[in-house]
Amino acid sequence: MSTQSYKAQDPYSLGSLPDKMAVYQECVQQFNALPVDAKKCRQLLAKMLRLIYHGVTFPAEESTMLFFSISKLFQHKDSSLRQLVYLAIKELSATSQDVLMVTSSIMKDIQLGDLIYKPNAVRSLSKVLDGLTVSSAERLFRNCMVDKNPIVSSAALIASYNLLPVAKDVVKRFANEALETVNSYKQFPSNQFQLHEYYGTSTTNLPSNSYMYQYHALGLLYELKSHDKMSMMKLITSLHEGSSLKNSLSIIQLIRYINRVLHDDPSLITHLYPVLHSFLKHKSDMVELEACKTLTTLQHLVKDDEFMNVILTLQKLLSVPRSATRFAAVRLINKISLKHPEKVLVVNLELENLINDPNRSISTLAITTLLKTFGVGTVESTSSESVDRLILKMTSLMDEITEDFKIVIIEAIESLALKFPSKHKKLVEFLDDLLRDDGSIKLKTAIVEALFDLIKFLPDENAKQLILMNFCEYIEDCEFTLLLVRILHLLGDEGPKTSQPSYYIRHIYNRLVLENSIIRSSAVIALAKFGALCDEPLASNVRTLLTRSLKDVDDEVRDRASVSLRFIDSKQPSLIVNDSRFNLAALEGKLTHYLNNEDNFSTGFQISEVPLLTLDELKSMEYNEKLTQLDNNADGSGSKDKSEKGTPSGNQDASNDDAAANEYLKQQEYAARLAEVEEFVEYGKLTKSTMTPIYLTDRENEFVVTVVKHFFAETNKLVLEYEITNTLSLLVLQDITIDVVPDNEAYEAEYSTKLAELKPQQSGSVYNSFGVPGILEDDVLAALGNTLKYISKDIIDDEGGIDPADEGIQDDYEIEDLEVSAGDFMFPLYKPNFTAIYDLLPEEDSTVVTVSGVSTIENAATKLTKTLSCMALDGTDYVPSDSTSHILKLLAKDLWGGIVAVQVRLALRGAQVVAKIEVKAETEGMAGVVASGAY
Amino acid sequence: MSLNISLHTVTAALILSNNGERLYAKYYRPEDPLQQFKTLQQQQKFEKTIYDKVNKLHQDVLLCDNHLVTYKQTNDLILVFVGALQENESMLFSLTANVNEALTILLNNLLDKQSVLEKYDMVCLCLDEAVDDGIILEIDPAVLVSRVTKPPVTSVVPGEMHIDISEKGLFSAFNYATKRISEKLQQGL
Repeated sequence: MSTQSYKAQDPYSLGSLPDKMAVYQECVQQFNALPVDAKKCRQLLAKMLRLIYHGVTFPAEESTMLFFSISKLFQHKDSSLRQLVYLAIKELSATSQDVLMVTSSIMKDIQLGDLIYKPNAVRSLSKVLDGLTVSSAERLFRNCMVDKNPIVSSAALIASYNLLPVAKDVVKRFANEALETVNSYKQFPSNQFQLHEYYGTSTTNLPSNSYMYQYHALGLLYELKSHDKMSMMKLITSLHEGSSLKNSLSIIQLIRYINRVLHDDPSLITHLYPVLHSFLKHKSDMVELEACKTLTTLQHLVKDDEFMNVILTLQKLLSVPRSATRFAAVRLINKISLKHPEKVLVVNLELENLINDPNRSISTLAITTLLKTFGVGTVESTSSESVDRLILKMTSLMDEITEDFKIVIIEAIESLALKFPSKHKKLVEFLDDLLRDDGSIKLKTAIVEALFDLIKFLPDENAKQLILMNFCEYIEDCEFTLLLVRILHLLGDEGPKTSQPSYYIRHIYNRLVLENSIIRSSAVIALAKFGALCDEPLASNVRTLLTRSLKDVDDEVRDRASVSLRFIDSKQPSLIVNDSRFNLAALEGKLTHYLNNEDNFSTGFQISEVPLLTLDELKSMEYNEKLTQLDNNADGSGSKDKSEKGTPSGNQDASNDDAAANEYLKQQEYAARLAEVEEFVEYGKLTKSTMTPIYLTDRENEFVVTVVKHFFAETNKLVLEYEITNTLSLLVLQDITIDVVPDNEAYEAEYSTKLAELKPQQSGSVYNSFGVPGILEDDVLAALGNTLKYISKDIIDDEGGIDPADEGIQDDYEIEDLEVSAGDFMFPLYKPNFTAIYDLLPEEDSTVVTVSGVSTIENAATKLTKTLSCMALDGTDYVPSDSTSHILKLLAKDLWGGIVAVQVRLALRGAQVVAKIEVKAETEGMAGVVASGAY
Repeated sequence: MSLNISLHTVTAALILSNNGERLYAKYYRPEDPLQQFKTLQQQQKFEKTIYDKVNKLHQDVLLCDNHLVTYKQTNDLILVFVGALQENESMLFSLTANVNEALTILLNNLLDKQSVLEKYDMVCLCLDEAVDDGIILEIDPAVLVSRVTKPPVTSVVPGEMHIDISEKGLFSAFNYATKRISEKLQQGL
């Protein structure tokens, strides 16, 4: 009682943050006083540390003064004060000058001082040393490292580890000591636990060793040996075979090293898999977890039945009492399910139990994982049953979880519905129910956006109708103006194309009567779209409705109504309904360019220069973005956590937009660069460039050559832009050309440029252009043999000069061939109904090929999609990893504007993938090109 | 996802009070490019995000701002350890739980804001003994406790006799006497 009231009055012990200046002055005063008052000084140091850990920084001058005063405390022998002194020195060393002055005091302590603060002294020492003075402490570190006290040993190992960046050559000499420490057995001294009264005298339950030094020694050893693969392998096997690692953290570290070794050399998996496998069953769950993580990243190297062991371990971890471990396990399973949902089917039962886990992150992850696995249900009937069951569970859960989690689940449902359209019905129903429940605008927006995307991308017209009708009901009692406006806009876009437009007109008109002016004006525009697109008598009815709005109280509504009426009467539907949109990235680029130079202002801005995107093109871009975004969200795991949804997904959108914009800007950049070369100006407008440069050499060669293909469709020209980098440090290249020999006689070499000189580490470009045959005339595909020709001269002085008398050596350098393939003539395209399009296209061709360089159906599908530059539709880009046959549906647009549809039947024959490719195309000749160009 | 191969596994250690105020905040390796919270503003914003989430959801682990966060709530305190997104959840959580246990022992089973501020020196030492520069130094709670010294009991000024006659002082004198007498007796026997 009395102590309580005493404390309350003590200005030092409690309350708000101490004043910085007061603390500073008192510190300087007290630390310099004689004799030193240990209790008071320790209190003061604690106050100073509190300031530092609160984020207060002392300016360099004050910090140095403090540092200097603190060093006075070295004369006091109280070990508890000295321990805190070392912590203060560590914290202040970053901001103070002249920290070297305490070196000798610290070193004295390490040699002669009390065991209590010796480890602290060792760790502080590494903070005050720099690269030059390290060697003076070398012997000290070495002795401490092999000290029989584990804590001193750990401190020395960590100190050396921290010194690595500044003094690698000195630390390197500790390799033997570190190795010795890993394998040694060190025990705490008998009085280790006497320090604190809590333990009293009973030491029976206390550890005699925590083996932490093994962890630290292993960490240091790796840094010293990582460049040497053989000795790493030796270290790993010897540590594993002797089972000398007792510390869980050190085993985790060992597993990470194995991962790194395998990353660099996958062929070692046969030796190292048994090691990893043995860690899948360990008494510590963190070791098991780390082994699972590592094997998951190495999944491509591990056989399927071996991988099952990982799943089994995870299954066990799913039911441990520690929520952090359950979270880790379900997070890992979710990650596996992204690529291989069929692998995690076995844990579905555990996952369903986790839906009611008290930790909401875990239950949400369990649901999203379950949603992913449904797509691969082997028997249709059972899986739809489980979808029902899951939806039932989710519905009951929905009442309990926060909105952030709901939004994550909504996204997972959307992604499932997009990937597996056949399952959409149940999922759409679920979303609709959710829409009708109470919720904030954030939640409703997420639902509405998910439904918008489903309308856009679901191939089934009935699904579309169903969602639209649900929207009609929803707007009857929607309280958010923002959402209402968006839904009305969508109804206007989609409604006129449905079978009963009158249904929608009625609902929209109700809004026109009942809502505020903002909603009324957007309802007018929506109605106008019906008026413009629908047949009589509907159109004239719409006109009547719009005429009534002419007398609206709000001027915006009146304006919109009268403008719409004018447009409808003038029979120009395109003024109301637009089927194309400006490429916004291009528009922005052009406008910035226009505004940056005042000279441009003499002429008007040419809006016609901005490319238009048709709705189809827009859709394919959006679809692509949507899928990547959903996958990223699921993968980035940051997003698992609902609550932070807001910011990261915002960023994600931005980066996706950037990706599209970047692609366009890159194209612009190429176009601008090509326009600088006179000869190419007459080639017209650049139609397509390969986005990423293709390497024609290894990336580490003497000369690195990359190439970008530019195609001009108007004039049938192909320009190859070679970029050459000279990576040799003692050679200058002159008169560089690339000799290109096409194997197709229809290619006519037209023009080529020459690069005068390339100094070491410079790069430069060489262009070669060809006239290529039109699509109808001849075979447009070719392989081009390339040779780099140059004159090399040696560098004779330090400035990189060359001897003017040196005539140099004329030399050739063989680089890889370049292929002009069918993909170079196509852009990916998205349309929701592949089959319908496929049946309509006139041109037809087919071929059977063996897909080279791949051994699984999955890789073959990815490769074909990429080389043909197509978009995979109807979720056919997803291939279950154990399947032996697959149908891939690809769609693209060729450079001449025609649609190309490709249906690929893939089958696994032994270790080869055979593909039957059926191509249908709009442009004459294109089908043949694609069929003959696929491989 | 790049693999963390170094020993630097902990990004930050925090102790927050029940109103989100920071009592202890140490962001390790400020010069490391991987450290995203270099300025005080970034750090405080991050702490606020953590604090908001911790209060809403009672769980031991969460993901926040591209970091893995494990924490333990005791009375009016939240002990937080932050690691990289791909860090081993179980390991970071063990560290959190064990440091929490060590602090509880050190503060005489009374882990709250008041005792943390009163014994700030011991709290600092405990965290310093657990994590040095982002490297986990010791994870066993018993060893952690044994590494932390208590503050000097008296302000010993040489040449001056000092007698502590508070309740505590008498009690420790009694304990000392008991110990010495029993030692003597044992020796005698």
